[in-house]
Amino acid sequence: MGKVARLARERSAPGQLVTIRGIRNGLLFVLAEDATIAELIDELERLLQGSEREGVGETAGVTAYVDPGARRLTDDECDLLRGILTGKGNLVVKGFAGPPAALEESVKQPYIYKGTVRSGQVIEHDGDVVVVGDVNAGGRVIAAGDVVVMGHLRGFAQAGAAGDAAAVVAAVYFEPLQVSIGDVTRRAPERPSRGAEMEFAYLEGADMAVERMAMLGQHRARSAARRARHSPGER
Amino acid sequence: MGEAIVVTSGKGGVGKTTSSANIGTALALMGKKVCMVDTDIGLRNLDVVMGLENRILFDIVDVATGQARLEQAMIKDKRFDHLFLLPAAQTKDKLALSVDAMHKIVRLLKPQFDFVLIDCPAGIEHGFRVAVSAADQAIVVTTPEQAAVRDADRVIGLLEKEQIPSPKLVINRIRPSMVRSGDMLDIDDIVGILSLDLLGIVPDDEHVIKAANQGEPTVLRPDSRASIAYRNIARRILGEPVPLMNLDEEAGFFRKMWKRIGLG
Repeated sequence: MGKVARLARERSAPGQLVTIRGIRNGLLFVLAEDATIAELIDELERLLQGSEREGVGETAGVTAYVDPGARRLTDDECDLLRGILTGKGNLVVKGFAGPPAALEESVKQPYIYKGTVRSGQVIEHDGDVVVVGDVNAGGRVIAAGDVVVMGHLRGFAQAGAAGDAAAVVAAVYFEPLQVSIGDVTRRAPERPSRGAEMEFAYLEGADMAVERMAMLGQHRARSAARRARHSPGER
Repeated sequence: MGEAIVVTSGKGGVGKTTSSANIGTALALMGKKVCMVDTDIGLRNLDVVMGLENRILFDIVDVATGQARLEQAMIKDKRFDHLFLLPAAQTKDKLALSVDAMHKIVRLLKPQFDFVLIDCPAGIEHGFRVAVSAADQAIVVTTPEQAAVRDADRVIGLLEKEQIPSPKLVINRIRPSMVRSGDMLDIDDIVGILSLDLLGIVPDDEHVIKAANQGEPTVLRPDSRASIAYRNIARRILGEPVPLMNLDEEAGFFRKMWKRIGLG
């Protein structure tokens, strides 16, 4: 995936006839709507030239999707495009109707929550959720993807809330009241959690100090308050 | 310009009013001008604990509804000239005090005092929201019990939503012998769960009950452990780095904790 993403980054610019975007497991070729098919073929050939030259090619075997925008591609046009993509880029063309809906959804950005999720608070997101802090008893984290807690998980965590049974719930200290994955809910095992303490470093004036991860929220609030006090013209 | 500090806990009976009375009196003892505001409409207590019950003419609801001026309702303490109490109403409806009225009252008090100490009612409903709305800082009182810690956690979440920066924690009614035997949550556990800066720990002390019944805040007795604890809390509010009281626990923990103390 790394090299594919790089290709997408390096060879796309706004205003281009063909824009390459990296999606979950492949590349998406977005065709400009106001370009003729001949122009698009030329552009694709230019874009994929490098891949061919680099031997086996960095895109070899990668799945490709074509997003034709509002235009309708004829069967002949599809064959032309497929010929270039497989011939020049060694790509496996999967479709000419844009990215599959499910794939688009699964690349949602993870939500990173910094602070303690306290009793009565609910963090909900339709992707992965990372809590940098604790989830206390009575607090809830609900994610369509994975739940990762960089601290104590003492409350309720639900991963794969939209039905993804492959999602996981992870915590440095795993001591939840309940855990749900997909549509399965269980009580946590009754054994002491063997966690390892996470700590963070920060600057205190010119010195560096180290604190427990759970204090990150407090630390942030404290520095924000200090900044507010020192900035002139307030109050 | 003074600072408005709300004393809150969520759960009832953990020592909000006792803590308000003692912290307020301790601050006055150190020469600060303090006004204590009781916002527990219908269940007023702070006047009883302070021994000022018989001096009440008007209350905070009278001020809010314009039936009395602020100066008429404020009661001067028997012991200190610069310690005042604005009592709660005993007979009026809970909803008689609005967020707007509370804001107005605290805005009038802040220029006249170093500290405005707001004693919050139990719960997280209207009374809580009113008490918290006008505060610049918050002190969360809890005791070493699961239920009290759970409620404190909930309240801290609500305070964060109200944009009150990093509330401070007071753990009240600690019994060192029970902590040692493992029958009570220890300070490390509580601070670990709540992830707050610790402002002070107060040992369980019979003097507190005796003093409250006599209308004399404990903090005026120089010999009780709770009194020393409350004085230490007041000193930390004023920015002094006072080490935590040693409750015969391992010294290592306290060394770790007290670097983080103070309303700084």
